[in-house]
Amino acid sequence: MVAAPASPAETAHSHGTRPNWAIIVLGCVLILMGLVITAGGVWLIALGGSWYYAPAGIGLLVTGLLLFRGRRAAVPLYLLVWLATLAWAFWEVGTDWWAQVPRLVAPTVVLLLVLLCLPGLTRTRHDGDRA
Amino acid sequence: MTRTHLPPLLLASLLALSPSVALSQDDPAGPAPDAAAEVDDGTDTLAAADPEPTYEIGSDWPYYGGDAAATRFSPLEQITPDNVAGLERAFVYRTGDLPSTEAEGSYAGETTPLMIGGSLYLCSAMNVLISVDAATGEENWRYDPGVPDDAIPYSASCRGVTAYTDPEAAEGDICATRIIEGTLDAKLVAVDAETGAPCEDFGENGTVDLWQDIGERVPGWYAVTAPPAVVRGLIVTGAQVKDGQAEDAPSGVIRAYDAVTGELAWAWDLAAPGRNRNGPPEGEVYTRGTPNMWTAAVADEELGLVYLPLGNSSVDYYGSNRSEAENEFATSLVALDATTGEEAWHFQTVRNDVWDYDLGSQATLIDYDGTPAIILPSKQGDIYILDRASGEPLTPVGEITDLPDGEIEPDYIADAQPISAWHTLRQPELEERDAWGFTPIDQLWCRIQFRRANYDGYLTPPSSDRPWIQYPGYNGGSDWGSVAVDTERGLIIANYNDVPNYNRLLTREEADDRGLVPINEEGARTGGAEGEGDPQAGSPYAIDVNAGWRNEATGVPCVRPPYGGIRAIDLETGQTVWDQPLGTARRNGPFGIPSMLPFRIGTPNNGGAVVTASGLTFIGATTDNLFRAIDTETGEVLWEDVLPAGGQANPISYEIDGRQYVMISAMGHHFMETPVGDYLIAYALPE
Repeated sequence: MVAAPASPAETAHSHGTRPNWAIIVLGCVLILMGLVITAGGVWLIALGGSWYYAPAGIGLLVTGLLLFRGRRAAVPLYLLVWLATLAWAFWEVGTDWWAQVPRLVAPTVVLLLVLLCLPGLTRTRHDGDRA
Repeated sequence: MTRTHLPPLLLASLLALSPSVALSQDDPAGPAPDAAAEVDDGTDTLAAADPEPTYEIGSDWPYYGGDAAATRFSPLEQITPDNVAGLERAFVYRTGDLPSTEAEGSYAGETTPLMIGGSLYLCSAMNVLISVDAATGEENWRYDPGVPDDAIPYSASCRGVTAYTDPEAAEGDICATRIIEGTLDAKLVAVDAETGAPCEDFGENGTVDLWQDIGERVPGWYAVTAPPAVVRGLIVTGAQVKDGQAEDAPSGVIRAYDAVTGELAWAWDLAAPGRNRNGPPEGEVYTRGTPNMWTAAVADEELGLVYLPLGNSSVDYYGSNRSEAENEFATSLVALDATTGEEAWHFQTVRNDVWDYDLGSQATLIDYDGTPAIILPSKQGDIYILDRASGEPLTPVGEITDLPDGEIEPDYIADAQPISAWHTLRQPELEERDAWGFTPIDQLWCRIQFRRANYDGYLTPPSSDRPWIQYPGYNGGSDWGSVAVDTERGLIIANYNDVPNYNRLLTREEADDRGLVPINEEGARTGGAEGEGDPQAGSPYAIDVNAGWRNEATGVPCVRPPYGGIRAIDLETGQTVWDQPLGTARRNGPFGIPSMLPFRIGTPNNGGAVVTASGLTFIGATTDNLFRAIDTETGEVLWEDVLPAGGQANPISYEIDGRQYVMISAMGHHFMETPVGDYLIAYALPE
């Protein structure tokens, strides 16, 4: 499944109301993944392991929540998560490309999907009105 | 610091004075008989035999390991790095031996044929003996010893057969040259090389029953999967005792039989070597549960010795109940006098083994700077070179000290262990960042598993409250594929696994809840990977092995690739000349879906290489079903072919009518998860 960019008509329609269904689905998926990674990440920290997963999971969770509510802030937030992931991944395993598969492939796919949502998302200011 | 971990000379001389020095305290006969009686008992039976002629490799492939030294080195040169790209299939022969419904999931042929004088000799997974014309692929004859499915131990495997030419027989006599195999139902079978007819002078109508004096006949518990060795007219064989069943298991006794008559010449029962040399006393059996030899021995006609790579005791992961003799000999290379069956020396690769580090490779005889030597690879990845006459190491042996004791049996776990300071295939210790998966989620789960397990690096002792990580796992380092030696270029070619296991000891209560019972009781488990819930009856713990430490949900390994490689090692220096991942990702992927990716990821591999004088290394072994030719000098893959089934077998090379062939059997392997087949495939350059 690929989240298609919302058409201009849909964007207008969804302005201030509900975002495109595909964005909602993506938001839900990211919320679920974010919950799992956050929970696992906290567990891993408790076991004395890596501190990457819990914050990355929270970042994913919040990105998902923002998408679900149709807010454009999801995009820069996830971009930040992705850049942090990139930095962490190279710090941890350098250019061992097989080792990079779990670190970079899925987060990069998520980044592309989030970017595709951009036209269907509202600016934070407008969202503030709604809140 | 480097030091020899055993003083083998001293030990050998001690043993010469008193062979009972290592006698078991659990010896059922009670106290050890006195030393003098032992010496008499052992030496009065046979006069020393003279060396017998060995077969020349040349255009043939007369031994499982190629030549009598098991170098897997062929002197042939027609197929070269320059023309190998044109290699094509010359013929495909099919044995017809495919699993019945009952045997589904337990086939792993692992078969390597012999080629002698234009005929191929092989056994199928279920021990059907077959002769095939080596030029045309036409079947000459077959002999089916009728092995039943319930005899399959861990796998239906027959790694090869052994040829023996009776120096007394006239050419043309029936069974002048005989083909010998050990079967899954523990028989030695000898047939005429010309006709396939059983040799009537051998045992009972061509068969010797190895269950004799072993104890209660439990099909599948005691099985031969490796070709026997022949030395000075005697067939020497051990047997596979299915791992992890019970402490009260069939003996690991090594026995020698007259190659012509099939009569027992001697037995070496490591816990009662003197008393049981000519078989146990009436009504008794060979010492139960002792370390066995499931892999191939190598014979040394010149020195009159046979070198036996021993495994571990029957219960692999708990040792406190083992006898002194078991501790002395387990996981050792043992040299026996071929004519008397007396121990000449032994060299132990791991003390008080609780990791199932059986010696799996056939050792290789070489000349090492003028000294008759033997190369010993191990599952731990260590490669040793020993003096064949004394067992003394010719390359440095180190020791690692202050090893953790664990909580299960701290008094039993050794504080220090030998390692090869000359060369090891073992990789650096795992770290959390080595955890893997396809997404951050499965990788995270593996990181959690890593942190929840006990892991103090190499030789972390077993635990029960938490899992422990064993790295390398029981598949090696080097396993039964052994190493190949390019004697012209002075290179050891070693393929290896690089895979951890994720294990846990189960309390007896947990084992009972899971219904784990040994093979001799009703409801025993069949199939599955080795150690994936083995009862270890008699010990306080059963064992649960996650072989390869795979993610339970996806089947994806929990550590990053590579999982296997191939390496060239300079025999002079012990330095790595090249090292490459072996095997592509094409057949691997999450949930068992083939990824079709052509990348060289480095897969687990089982089966060895053949090296040729022309500078090529041929090897299958990997889980991608590819058979390939590698430039022996650079490690570059020059040619490959997709096999119709898993190529978990040692290939061979031979020449007939001026044409060089390379051959591998593609019979698959249930544990390596490759498709099962019944193929024997010959390759040659176009005519």
